[in-house]
Amino acid sequence: MKDRDNTTAPSLLYTIPTFQSTLIDLHRTKFPSVIMYGDASLKLVQHAKRTQTLPHLPPYQADLVRSITREVRALDASVQSTISTLTSGGTTPFDPDTHPGPAAKILTEYVVMRRNKRCLLAYHRVRAQRVDESVWKGVDLLEANAEGGAEENAGKGVSSGDGNVEGALSPEEEEYARAYGELVAAYKGRWTDVDLTGALEPPRDLFVDVRVLRDAGEIQTEYGAINLTKNSQFYVRQADVERLIAQGYLQKLS
Amino acid sequence: MDIDDILADLDAATVPQETLDIQLLTRLWVAERVAPELLVWPDDLISRITERMSAQVELIEEQTATMDPKSSFGLIVLQTEMERVKFLVRSYLRARLAKVDAHPLYYNEGEPAGRLSVEEKQYLTAHQTLLEAHYGASFLGQFPAQLQRMDDPAGGISMVETPDAERAVFVRALRDAGLVRMPGRDESWDVKRGDVRVVRWSAVRDLVEIGDLELI
Repeated sequence: MKDRDNTTAPSLLYTIPTFQSTLIDLHRTKFPSVIMYGDASLKLVQHAKRTQTLPHLPPYQADLVRSITREVRALDASVQSTISTLTSGGTTPFDPDTHPGPAAKILTEYVVMRRNKRCLLAYHRVRAQRVDESVWKGVDLLEANAEGGAEENAGKGVSSGDGNVEGALSPEEEEYARAYGELVAAYKGRWTDVDLTGALEPPRDLFVDVRVLRDAGEIQTEYGAINLTKNSQFYVRQADVERLIAQGYLQKLS
Repeated sequence: MDIDDILADLDAATVPQETLDIQLLTRLWVAERVAPELLVWPDDLISRITERMSAQVELIEEQTATMDPKSSFGLIVLQTEMERVKFLVRSYLRARLAKVDAHPLYYNEGEPAGRLSVEEKQYLTAHQTLLEAHYGASFLGQFPAQLQRMDDPAGGISMVETPDAERAVFVRALRDAGLVRMPGRDESWDVKRGDVRVVRWSAVRDLVEIGDLELI
């Protein structure tokens, strides 16, 4: 009996791997097509990690988020039905000691649900922080991303259709970005003299040399109006043009 | 009392309140940027400084309007000074907001009372509401009800992150303050004026708040 088992199955299966990851790797090499609980979450967290180092926000992973939410709902349904059968529809209390098997199953499913929730929260938080940053910098994220995507496409020499230009934000994120913009504006309103979105570098000089990178139209300063046309150069008060520098219309010359 | 104390007294008597305020703000700004958690909000100081700033802005505008060539150099000095004070206030407020945003749930529970200004409190609540609405609309709304909480302590891990009070900070002693126990080590530091040390924030938090030590 024992001998037969050893010949039919690889002996590796009989050694208990020390690390969970080894177990998972083993599982994958043996059954490459099997999808495990938490696979989608893992991918999402990897996306989040990658997002932190990217210069522009990558597109929202709507499909992944949806499949994780589905997984959670399926797990919840499974937990509910297990409990319901074992307690005969809620009439008797569930005792883990008499049903150790189902109890372990419920625990596993519950832990996976909680893990999925954490992964989703982490992913959304990383992205929300990027949205916050861009609001403070005064960058329009939709615009910036359309450009970033276009450059990327040009670099690769492929046009992937309208997919990238549509923007990297989900509709919910767009809504959040708009609302957060209003919130920041409201908080800034209390400190009109300070201009909270101004530069966080200590000021050195009152006046700076700037070169105009993109046409920015005419601006009003205390010393009269200046017409900012492309490639021209001005010596202006830094406070007057700070926003334009941040938005990339002007370049500061040192 | 030694010669330094006498000099300090003399200085305090002659230095105008305006200058002291700016010095104080600079200190608070440095402290706020290095302390791991939010420090007490200096309501009086900030209102004095904002008042003086608007007065200064008016003065500058007045002088600009007259366009007197003689005053133009003085004007540049005034404006430069204004920009510097503005930067100080801006950087200070932004440093505080960054901390509030890093641990919103911790500060929202009113953990250390009186730390936040009224505006910061409003900002925090509003931002938190926005985020929760965003999470809810994106995925959390479709979760089973018992998993929708944002501050769930179940499973032995609380969802509420707290600032790291064990982080090391640089401090300078402003006056003798007796013995300070070093956490986790069988050692104390006899605080003498002028000492500079690297210590865990949790060990010196109280002394910094009463002003025996300053963060650098």
